[in-house]
Amino acid sequence: MDTGTVLRNLLTLAWLLPLAGFVAEIYALQLRWSHRLSKAPAQLAVACIGAGFLCSLSALLYWGNETKWVGFAPVEHHTPAEGLDGGDTAPADALRPDATGGEPASEHHHQTPKFYAGTFYKLAQFGPLEITLDWYIDSLTLVMFTMVTFIATCIHLFAMGYMKDELTEEYEDHQVHLPGGHHFTRPGRFHRFFAFLSLFCFSMLGLVLAGNIFQVFIFWELVGVCSYLLIGFYVERHSASTAANKAFIMNRVGDFGFLIGLMILITSLGTFRFFDVTTADGAEQTGLFSLVRGDDGKLDISDDPSVTKSVVYLRDSHGHRLVDGTTPRTISYLLLIAAGLGVFAGSIGKSAQFPLQTWLPDAMEGPTPVSALVHSATMVAAGVYLAGRFYPMFPPEVLLGIAYIGCITLFVAATIAVVATDIKKVLAYSTISQLGYMMLGIGVGGWAAGLFHLVTHAFFKSLMFLASGSVIAGCHHEQDMRKMGGLRHKMPITAYTMLIGVIAIAGLAIPGVGNALFGQALAFSGYHSKDAIVASALAFSELNRNPLHNILFIVPLVTAGITAFYMFRLWFMTFAGQPQDEHVYEHAHENPAIMTAPLVILSLLAAGCAIGGEDGWLYCLLSFSETVPTVDRFTSERVASIVIPSHLDARDVHGTAGGLALLAAFAGTTVAYLLYCRKVVNPDDIRRQAGGVYDFLVDKWRFDTLYDVAFVRPCHIVASWCQGFDQKVLDVVLHASAAITIVVSKWERTFDEGMVDGLVNLIGNSTTNFGRSLRVVQTGRLRQYVMWIAVGVVVLFAALFTALPK
Amino acid sequence: MESVGLNAYLFVGAVLFVCGIVCMAIKRNGIGVLMGVELVLNSANLNFVAFARYTPLGLDGQVIALFVIVLAAAEAAVALAIALNFYNNHLTIDVDRGSELQG
Amino acid sequence: MTADVLFWLFAALVCGGALGVVVTQNIVRMAFWLILSLGSVSALFFLLGADFLGAAQLLIYVGGTVVLLVFGVMLTASGPYMQIKTSAADGLLGACVGGLLFLVLVSSISGMDWSQLHTTNTTPSVIAERPEGNTLRPLGLAFLGLRPDRPVTEGSEVKPAPGYLLPFEIVSVHLLVVLVGAAYLARAKRRANPSNDSLSA
Repeated sequence: MDTGTVLRNLLTLAWLLPLAGFVAEIYALQLRWSHRLSKAPAQLAVACIGAGFLCSLSALLYWGNETKWVGFAPVEHHTPAEGLDGGDTAPADALRPDATGGEPASEHHHQTPKFYAGTFYKLAQFGPLEITLDWYIDSLTLVMFTMVTFIATCIHLFAMGYMKDELTEEYEDHQVHLPGGHHFTRPGRFHRFFAFLSLFCFSMLGLVLAGNIFQVFIFWELVGVCSYLLIGFYVERHSASTAANKAFIMNRVGDFGFLIGLMILITSLGTFRFFDVTTADGAEQTGLFSLVRGDDGKLDISDDPSVTKSVVYLRDSHGHRLVDGTTPRTISYLLLIAAGLGVFAGSIGKSAQFPLQTWLPDAMEGPTPVSALVHSATMVAAGVYLAGRFYPMFPPEVLLGIAYIGCITLFVAATIAVVATDIKKVLAYSTISQLGYMMLGIGVGGWAAGLFHLVTHAFFKSLMFLASGSVIAGCHHEQDMRKMGGLRHKMPITAYTMLIGVIAIAGLAIPGVGNALFGQALAFSGYHSKDAIVASALAFSELNRNPLHNILFIVPLVTAGITAFYMFRLWFMTFAGQPQDEHVYEHAHENPAIMTAPLVILSLLAAGCAIGGEDGWLYCLLSFSETVPTVDRFTSERVASIVIPSHLDARDVHGTAGGLALLAAFAGTTVAYLLYCRKVVNPDDIRRQAGGVYDFLVDKWRFDTLYDVAFVRPCHIVASWCQGFDQKVLDVVLHASAAITIVVSKWERTFDEGMVDGLVNLIGNSTTNFGRSLRVVQTGRLRQYVMWIAVGVVVLFAALFTALPK
Repeated sequence: MESVGLNAYLFVGAVLFVCGIVCMAIKRNGIGVLMGVELVLNSANLNFVAFARYTPLGLDGQVIALFVIVLAAAEAAVALAIALNFYNNHLTIDVDRGSELQG
Repeated sequence: MTADVLFWLFAALVCGGALGVVVTQNIVRMAFWLILSLGSVSALFFLLGADFLGAAQLLIYVGGTVVLLVFGVMLTASGPYMQIKTSAADGLLGACVGGLLFLVLVSSISGMDWSQLHTTNTTPSVIAERPEGNTLRPLGLAFLGLRPDRPVTEGSEVKPAPGYLLPFEIVSVHLLVVLVGAAYLARAKRRANPSNDSLSA
C-alpha cells in the first residue's frame, strides 16, 4: 500500500467515526440502547473522536516517517542544494507544485510529493461536470485533522462534566420564565448534545478532507447546520433561538457569494477539483490549481494593461497553455477576481469577518463547550481554512481585499472587547479579532503565518473558552466579570491555565532567554504566530509605496497592545483583586477533574505547540504544503499597484516587527495591570471621561443598529407591503372569485333542483299517480269481479251485434 | 215436429246460467257463491246433454257432461275447504271481508 | 205428449229452484232450493235419454255435492252468518245485469239456426240408430273408442274414433289430488289471531 492510500484510510476512518457516533447517539433513546440518565452517549462520542485523534496523529507521524521528516524542518532558501537533512532532499524544489501525488517528477527521484489526492466516489455527472467526493491530503490537512480531533476530544471530555445538569428527566431552565413565575421544565438533552457535537466534528473533518470546492461547500453547509443546532441548543430561550437564526442567516449572506464564486468557476474553468487527475482513457483533467497557477505558481496574465481586457491563460500541470482548438483557453482576469471575492465572501460569513461579524458574539448563547468548539477548531476555522486552501485561486487584488477586511475586523472587534463585561463576550470578540489577524496574514502574503496563527489560536482559545466555562460552571452560571474577582483562590487550576492562554494570546515573551535553547525568544505559541503575521504585514507595507497600506501594519500593531490589555483585563477582573460579589465568591468552587484535565492538557499545548517559532516544526509543516511559492515577490499592476512580499522580505523585517509587537503587548499588559489590579486610576472615571466612545463601543460600533436600519426594517417594510398587497388585492380577488363561484353554484343548484330533478320527479310521480288511480279498480271484492265479468260479456255481445252485420 | 226441441232445453240452460251468475254476483255468503257455481255448471251440463240428443255430437256430449260432473264434485270439495279456511281466518263467511286482493 | 208435459214440468222446477236459490237469503233454504233444481236437471237428463248421466247427477250432486254443501253450512254455522244479507242495491244491480245477460243468451239461442247442424256430415240413418235410454253400454264402449252411433268407415278408409281412457285417467288422478288437497286445507288448525282479522276488515 502506498503512502497516499494509508493516509487516506486513516483520515477517512477519523472522519467517519464521529458520523457513526452521531447515528448511534441520535437513535440511542429511540432504540432503547440508552436512557436519559445514561452517560453512554458521551462516552461513545469521546471514544469516536478520541479514536479519530489517534488515527489522525498516526497519519501525521506515518507521513512524517514516510517523507523522512522533510516537512518538519525549516527550509534553507539561500542554499537550495544543501538542505538541512544532508542533501537527501531538494527542499526548494519541494515547494514546487509540479510534484503531484500521482507522478513525482522523474528528475527528482527522492522528491517528496506535496500532496496525495484521489476520488472516493462519483456522485453524479452532468455532461462534462462531475460531482465527486474527493480527498486531498497534504500537511495542512494532516495538521488540521490532528488539531481538530485533539481539541474536540478535550472539549468532549470537558462537556461530559459541564453538561451533567442535563442528565435528568426534568431539566429546569432558569433563564426561561413562564407566565406565573415558573421556570420552563423539559427532559434533559444530554445525548442529543453529544450527537450534535459528533455531527459537528464529522462535518468539519469532511470539509478539511474535501478534494473539490463543491464538496467543501457541502460540508461547509453541514457545519453551518450543526452550529445552528448547537447555538440554539437551549431553544426555549428566546435569545438562543434568535442567535441561532442570526448565525444561520448571516452565514447565508456569505454563502450567497460563495455560490456565485462556484458558478463562475464551473462556467469558466469547468471543474471543481483542486488537483489533476488522469482519467481512464489517459486524458488529463487539469485541476483548479494547475489551471490558474500552472507549474511555477504564477498567473499567466496577458500583456494587455487594461484590467477589463486582460485574461489569464489556463495551463496544465506542466506549464503548457491549454488550447481549445487553436484559441487558448482563458479566463477573464476580472472574473477570476470576482470568483475569488465570492469564495472569500463565504469565508467572511463563516469566520465572522467584517461586515458579517455580528453573529459570533450572539452565538455565545450556546453551551460553553460549543462556544469553545465553534471558536477554535471547527466553525470559524473553516473560513480561514477555506481562504488558505483556496489561496492559489486568489489574484493579488483579492488578497489585498482579504488583508483590509482582516485589518478592519481585528481592530473593530478588539475595541469592542475592551468594554465588554460578559466573560464569554470578551472571548468572542477576541476570537473575531484573532480571525482578523489570520485573514490579514493570508492577505499580505503570509500564508503560512495565517494558518500558523489558526492552529495556535485554536489551542489557546479553546483553552480559554473551557476555562471560562469552568468559571461559569463554578460560579453557577454567572457570566458577568464585574461580579467576579479573586477567584484564583477558589479555582487555582482554572486560573493559572487561563493565565497561560492569556499570555499566549497577548503575545508576551522574554527576549533573549530562550535564544540559547530554541533560537527564539522564550514565549508561548501566540507570540510566534502573531509575530509572523505582523512581520508579513510590515513587509507588505514597506514594499508597497502606497502610504495607505501602512495601515495594514500599524493597525495590527496597535491592536496587539489592545489585545494584551483586554485579555489581562479579563484575567485581572476575574481571578485577581478582591471579590466583587460575596454571594458569587462564596459559592465558587473548583470543578472536577474531568473538566480541569482538558484545561491542563490544552494549556501545555497552548504554551508549547509553536515552539521554535518560524523555524519550529509546526510552521515548517504548514509552509511545506504551500501550493504557491512565496519565495519570490509577486507583483500586480492591474487594478492597483500591489507587491506581495516573499518569505525573505518578511524574514528580513521579523526582528523589527517582533520587537514592536512585543512592546505593544507589554504596554497593553501594563495598562491593564495598573487599571484593574493596582487600581491606579478607577476605570469608571475613564469610562465617564470618554462617554461617547464608550457607548459607541458598548453598542458594538452600532453594527446591529445599522443592520437593523439598513436591512431588517426595510425588510419589514417590504414584508408589510407584501402583506398589505396580499390582504388588499390578492385576498379580495380570491374572495371575489369565491363569491362568484358560490353564486354560480347556487344557480346550478336551482337549475338542478328545478329542471333536472323536476323532470325526473315528474316522470316518477306521474307513473306513481297513474298506478294509484289504477289501484281503485282492484277492489279485491270477488262479487264485484263476477259482476264485471257479466257486464263484460254483455258489452262484448252488444259490441258484436252492433258492429257485425247479421 | 216435436214441440219440445233443442231451443227449449237451451232456454232452460240459459235461465240456470243467468241464475248462477247472479247468485255468484250478489251473494255475500261464500257458500251461496258456491251454489251459484254449481248452477252455472249444471246449465253447461244441460246444454251438453241437449246437444248430445239433438245434434251429431252424440255420446261425446254425455261423456263430457260426465267429466264435468266429476270435476264439479272436486271443485266443490276444494271450494268448501277454502271456505272453511276462510272462516277460520276471518271468523265469518262473508266474502266482502276478504279483500286481501285489493290493490 | 207425456214427454212434453214432463219437460215443461221439470223445466219449471229447474228454473224455479234456481230463482229460489238466488232470491232466498237463508243458506239452508238455498240449499233446499238447490237440491230441487239439481234434481229436476237430472229428470231432464232422463228425458233426454241420458239415463246413466241422470243417475250420476242424482248420485253425485244431490247425494254428494249438496250434502257436502250442507256439511259446510253446518260447520260454519255460527251466529253472524245468518245475518249476511244481500243489500237491495246489490240485488237490483244483479237483476239488471242478469236480465241483460239473459237477453243476450236468448237472442243468441233464438238467432241460431240449429237445423244446420243436422245436415253437416251426418246421415239421418245414423241419427235414427241413436240409442234411447240404456246408455250404460254405449258410454262404456265410447270410453274405449267404439262408437255405435258413428260410421266406422268414411269412404273406403277405416277411421276409428278416439276413446276417452286418457282423459278418464287424468280426471281420476285430478280428483284424487283435489281430495287430498281439500282434506289438507280443511284440516283442523289453530285459529288465527282475532285482532288480525278485525284489522284486515
